[in-house]
Amino acid sequence: MHVVFESGFFTSAPVRTALIIGAVTAMVSSVVGVFVVVRSQSFAGHALTDVATTGGSAAFFFGLSPLLGFIGGGVIGAGAMDLIGVERERRRDLATGIVLGTALGLAALFLYLDTTKGATTGATQQLLFGSIFTVDPSTVPLVLGLSALGLAIVVLINRPLLLSSLSAELTRARGINLRGVGVLFMIAMAVSVGLSSIAVGSILSTALLIGPAAASIRLTKSLHASLMVAGVLGVATTWLGILFAYDSFYWVPSSQGLPVSFFIVSLIFIAYLMSGLPFVRRRFDRPPRANSAGASNQASIEALEVGA
Amino acid sequence: MITQFTPDSARSSRRIAPRVVLAYALVFSTALCLSAPIDASASTKSSVIVAVGAENEYANVLSQIGGEYVKVSSILDDPNTDPHTFEASPSVAEEIGRAQLIVQNGVGYDGFMNKIETASPNPKRKIVVAQDVLDLPTDTPNPHLWYSPKTMPAVASAIAKDLEKLDPSHAAYFQKNLASFNRSLQPWLRAIAAFKSKHHGTPAAVTEPVADYLLKAMGLRILTPFVFQADIMNGVDPAPEDISLEEGFFTKHQARVFCYNQQVVDSLTAVIKQTAVSAKVPVVGVYETMPTPGYDYQTWMLDEVKAIDAAITRHRSTEKL
Repeated sequence: MHVVFESGFFTSAPVRTALIIGAVTAMVSSVVGVFVVVRSQSFAGHALTDVATTGGSAAFFFGLSPLLGFIGGGVIGAGAMDLIGVERERRRDLATGIVLGTALGLAALFLYLDTTKGATTGATQQLLFGSIFTVDPSTVPLVLGLSALGLAIVVLINRPLLLSSLSAELTRARGINLRGVGVLFMIAMAVSVGLSSIAVGSILSTALLIGPAAASIRLTKSLHASLMVAGVLGVATTWLGILFAYDSFYWVPSSQGLPVSFFIVSLIFIAYLMSGLPFVRRRFDRPPRANSAGASNQASIEALEVGA
Repeated sequence: MITQFTPDSARSSRRIAPRVVLAYALVFSTALCLSAPIDASASTKSSVIVAVGAENEYANVLSQIGGEYVKVSSILDDPNTDPHTFEASPSVAEEIGRAQLIVQNGVGYDGFMNKIETASPNPKRKIVVAQDVLDLPTDTPNPHLWYSPKTMPAVASAIAKDLEKLDPSHAAYFQKNLASFNRSLQPWLRAIAAFKSKHHGTPAAVTEPVADYLLKAMGLRILTPFVFQADIMNGVDPAPEDISLEEGFFTKHQARVFCYNQQVVDSLTAVIKQTAVSAKVPVVGVYETMPTPGYDYQTWMLDEVKAIDAAITRHRSTEKL
């Protein structure tokens, strides 16, 4: 037993908080991530992590909860991207890139002000690369509530969301407000990015958003299976990462352990690589097929049409 | 709008070429002028010595020794900032460039000073580095040297020596100030000795090593592992094992006092402080730089000792001096 779980793993308060927050945030990120990958919005997802950084750094500077800063920044960034035109195919990358650059510039300003005028230490490290073992346990209810909100948005709009990413004309023909769906989804993305910023840091939250989703879409055919596998992969990599980080304290004598975010992101990368192996795919009992989001789009639209 | 590069636009760009060249030449020559060195010695011909203390505790001792013949300023004196992450601004660089005498800590604590000093060389400038005065190696793990009772007497006499070289006519004045500074340290040194004789071996917990030299001089036993202290000091996340260990010092009532660095605060140290408060372990605030106004180096150090003594003997917290 002690080979896998070093002593005190199950009794440690920081570990318990980390396991709860890690599981919930990984689940939301993975589920939202499946839609991000299907809608080919990975770049927008990454840009949201950068605006979340801005919000987080502002929160540090003004002494507010970083979680609220991450999410507030993300929501404002989502609004800005929508205004500039993230939904219009041709201007999308441009709008995203411009918002991203401005946001990181603002983050630089807040971090500078914070280190020179404020008393907080290690804000940069904590902000960018996360600090799951040092989360204040009293924020757990807030994390749970926000996770429920993020999941609720996606569940509520999952059909128009999928349909609009496949065919805008078809969606409009059904009388669905395309822009409204887009904005709602961006808010769900901002919430999930904000939550995973707590776990792995704002810069690395992209990995948790699209990594498990990309791996699961390679392995599965239907939307429901994708969501299931992505959730399981997200939670498993996060929990394993926490375990490795805890155990790493004992790997080298008198060491201080290695960072959690490093382990989580590496495990996601390994999971993604493995999902491409023919052996693993055969295990999922399906013939190998094109691993693009397009293939699963096709599968999803079929499922949708059957369901409708 | 992206301009297509066509033979047409190539012709038009040839037409404006002289103007472009002129503009570039103007920018280039302006940059050249700006890069010329500025003569720093011009403004310091008066009899008052311009001196800089990197941290305000060193600046304070500097002005106690130099008295009316030095004009002292300090770089780090804001009790709300963390000196470890300080970044120098151009005005600070100018201040340091003008100084004839500089006192700094060393051990990498104020590395920005070395950068600015190399950037504005002045062969006549004297620099007192506490690390060199105490003959400490650069990899000394705890840089907060001014909390050690051995540091300031040695630094003060090095300051007096350099002041005499810069202004030999007032050598007696500087010597007199040095003697009275050393005398004024006595109440602090006596308080340390008195505490040590009564409470030797009393266990204490800390967030980071800021006051460790003083705590050790007072005979306190520091429970917190140094790795944890260094992590907090350097803004790195400590291991969960160390966090549980630290909180255990309070929940298991092992520590009898908790020295909390008021200048290096994050969400983790705030939670740990809360643990100490709810376990009714008295908290004593310690500082990277001298709290102002109202303190000089001696009274600040004496009050830290008094606060720790009050925590042990009367179970009283002094979160802020």
